Amino acid sequence: MFNYRLIGLLKRELQEKLLSKTFIIMTISIPVLMFIIFGVQTVIMSYDGDENTKLKLITESEKLTNNFKNELENLPFIQNGYYNFDYLTMPQIKLKEYLEKVKQEILDEKLTGVIFISDSSLMSKNVEYYSKAPNNATVTHKLNWHLNKVLVDNYFINRNLTDEDLSFARRGVDFTGYKVSKDKDIKEEGYGNFILSFFLSFLLYLSLIMIGQMTMQSVIEEKNSRVIEVLLSSVSSSELMSSKIFGASITGVLQMAVWFIPILIVMFTSVFALPEEFGFQISVFQIVYLLFNFFLGLLTFLGLFVMVGSIFDNVQDVQSGMWPILMLIMIPFFIAISVANNPTNPIAEIASMLPFASIIVMPARITIIDVPLWQFIISIIINIVTIVAIFPLAGKIFRVGILRTGKKPKWSEIVRWLKYSY
Amino acid sequence: MNALEVKNLTKTFNGLTAVDNASFMVPEGSIFGLIGRNGAGKTTTIRMMMNIYLPDNGEVILRGTKVGQEFKNKVGYLPEERGLYKKMKVLDTLLFFSEIKGLYGKEVREKALEYLERFDLADRKNSKIEDLSKGNQQKVQFIATILHAPEFIILDEPFSGLDPINTNLLKEIIIEEKKNGKVIILSTHLMDFAEKMCDHIAMIDEGKIILNGSLKEIKENYAQKNISLTYNGNLSFLNKNPIIESVSDYGNTTGIKVKDHTHIQELLKLLVNNNIEVKNFSANEISLQEIFIELAGKDENELMEVSNV
Repeated sequence: MFNYRLIGLLKRELQEKLLSKTFIIMTISIPVLMFIIFGVQTVIMSYDGDENTKLKLITESEKLTNNFKNELENLPFIQNGYYNFDYLTMPQIKLKEYLEKVKQEILDEKLTGVIFISDSSLMSKNVEYYSKAPNNATVTHKLNWHLNKVLVDNYFINRNLTDEDLSFARRGVDFTGYKVSKDKDIKEEGYGNFILSFFLSFLLYLSLIMIGQMTMQSVIEEKNSRVIEVLLSSVSSSELMSSKIFGASITGVLQMAVWFIPILIVMFTSVFALPEEFGFQISVFQIVYLLFNFFLGLLTFLGLFVMVGSIFDNVQDVQSGMWPILMLIMIPFFIAISVANNPTNPIAEIASMLPFASIIVMPARITIIDVPLWQFIISIIINIVTIVAIFPLAGKIFRVGILRTGKKPKWSEIVRWLKYSY
Repeated sequence: MNALEVKNLTKTFNGLTAVDNASFMVPEGSIFGLIGRNGAGKTTTIRMMMNIYLPDNGEVILRGTKVGQEFKNKVGYLPEERGLYKKMKVLDTLLFFSEIKGLYGKEVREKALEYLERFDLADRKNSKIEDLSKGNQQKVQFIATILHAPEFIILDEPFSGLDPINTNLLKEIIIEEKKNGKVIILSTHLMDFAEKMCDHIAMIDEGKIILNGSLKEIKENYAQKNISLTYNGNLSFLNKNPIIESVSDYGNTTGIKVKDHTHIQELLKLLVNNNIEVKNFSANEISLQEIFIELAGKDENELMEVSNV
C-alpha cells in the first residue's frame, strides 16, 4: 500500500501542515487559551460579589436575637464590613407590616434582605429569607452553618450536653468519594479526573474541527488552483485522498501528543504541585489508547471533511455541506461533557460505542470510570468498521468531486456520483 | 509501430456524450496532434488516456497492454488548466512532482536547476510560486512536466498564455524531445501550430474522431480536390458551375474545391477565360483549417472565432 507516490504526497502534506504558522500557533496557544479560560472562570466563580450585604435578622425573642448577635458578630465577613447586620426582635404578626415598610429599601437594593427566625423554627429549623434575590446561594451558604449552630445550641441548652456532644450535633454530613476500580487499593477520588475528562473532551473537539477545517481547505485549494489534475496524472485519486487523510491524522495525533506533555509533567513530576483534591490518575495505557482513539477519530471525520471539501469549490458553499459533520462532532461533545456530571449515564455508555460518537465520548468516560474491556473492544471495532465503510464512499465522491468546478452541485447529483464509473 | 492505441473510447456525463467511440493511433517517435474546437472532447479524451477518467466504453493500449499506473509513471502531463501549489517554492515544486513519479535525489535536483537556468528562472528557485508572474508559473509547470524524463509528453493547449519568445522556447524543447525519441501528444485548437509541428493528427469534433492519420497523407488526399487561390476579380460566376463543389473565402486566400481532381485544369482555364487576375494558384496546398472546416461542416466565421481565442 505504501509506495513512493504515497510517501511523496504524505511528505508534502506533513510539511505543509506541520510547518504552517497557523498550526504551530494553534498548537501552542490552545492549551494556554484553555488555561486562561478556566482561570478566568474560576476567578469569576470564586468572586462572591457580596460586599455591602445589608441584612436584618429578626427573631421573636430578645434572647435569641442576642444569641445570633453573639455568634455572628465575630465572623470575619462581618468584622471586615462585607456583611452588615441589624438585629431586631418582633412577633411574627408584625413581620408583614415590617416587610411592607422596608419593601422599597429592598427593591432599591439598600437592604439586601430580611432573615426571619420564628419561634417555631427553633424546632423545625425553617428560616425565612426575604430578598430581591432570595436564591442567592452566596448569602445562604455563608450563613447556613452559623445559623444552624445557634439553633442547635438553643435546642440542647437545657439538656446538659458536653461541648463535644454539641459539636457533633452541629456537624453536617461530609461525603468523601472513593473510587472503586480493578486496582487493589481503593483510592480516595478527587476532582482531578473530572477536570481532565472535561479538558480532553474540549481538546478533542477543538482539534477535530481545526484539523478537519485545515484538511478541507487544502482540498478546496487544490481544486481551485487546478493542481489536482497534474497530481492525478501521477497518482490515483484514492492515493491522493488517503495521503491527505493520513497526513492530517498524523498531524493531529502529534498535536494531541504535544498537548499531553503538560499533563504528563503534572503527573510524573512535582514541578506543579496540585492540591490533592485536584490530583488525577491516568495510565500510560490510557494515554496510548487516547492517542490511538483520536487517530481513528481523525481518519473517520477527515474522510467526511475531505468528501465535503471535494464537493464544493469555495469556502462559502462548503458551510452548507459542513453542518452535518459539525453535528456529528458537537452532539457527542455535549454527551461527553455530561459524563462529568454522571459518569454512568446510560446515554453516554451507549454513545461511547456508537460510530462517530465513541471517538469523543469514550475518552471522557475512561478518564473517570473503569470502562469494561468489551466496551473498549466494541468501540474500536465499530470505529474501524466505520472507517472501512466511509473510505470507499468518500473515495467515489472525491474522485468525481475534485475534477468538478463551477456550479454548486445538488445533493441528488452527489448521490448519483456514487454510481458513476469515473 | 504504434506506441498508443486508443480504441472505441466513449464517455458520457449526465446524458451528454463528451467522447463518442473515439479511436486513433499514436505512432512511436511522433508528435501527435489531437485537434478540435474548445469543448470538442479533447481534454476528456486525454483524461481517459491518462486513466484520470474511466471510460464508459473502450480502452487505451500502451504497447500491447492496457494503460494503468505504469503509463502514469511514463507520462508528463501539462493540463490545459495549469495548477501548482501557490505557497510552495519553485525548486520544491519541481522536486515534489518528480518524487511522485518515482524520481528523487541529487540528479533530479541538478537537472531541475539546469532547466531553471534554461528557462531563465535560476534566480527564482526559492521564490514561492504565487510570487511568480503567470508566464513564469507556466514555465515552472512545463519543467515539472518534463523533469522526470517521461517517455510520453502530453500537452493540453501548451501555447495558451505564452508570449512569443516562450512559445518558441517551448517549440524548441518539444522538437528536441521528439529527437530524443519521445512521443509527444499535443492537444490544441490552433490549427496553424498543429500543422507546423505534428506528424500525425486526430481531428475531433463533437466527441467524434472525424479524421486521423499522418498529416502528410491527409494533406495529399485532400489537396487533390482543393485549390488555394489568390486573385483579383469577381468569382461569382463559379457558384453555379457544375465542376465546383464549394468556394470558401479565408481572407488572404480563397479555397476552391472541385468535384473531381480531373477538374483542376478546367478550373484554371475557366478563371483565365473569365478575366480573373490569378496571382497564386496552388493545387497541392490545403491548410488543416480548410480540411477541418470541410469535415466539421461549420461555417468559417464560427471557426475563425474559435481559432482566435
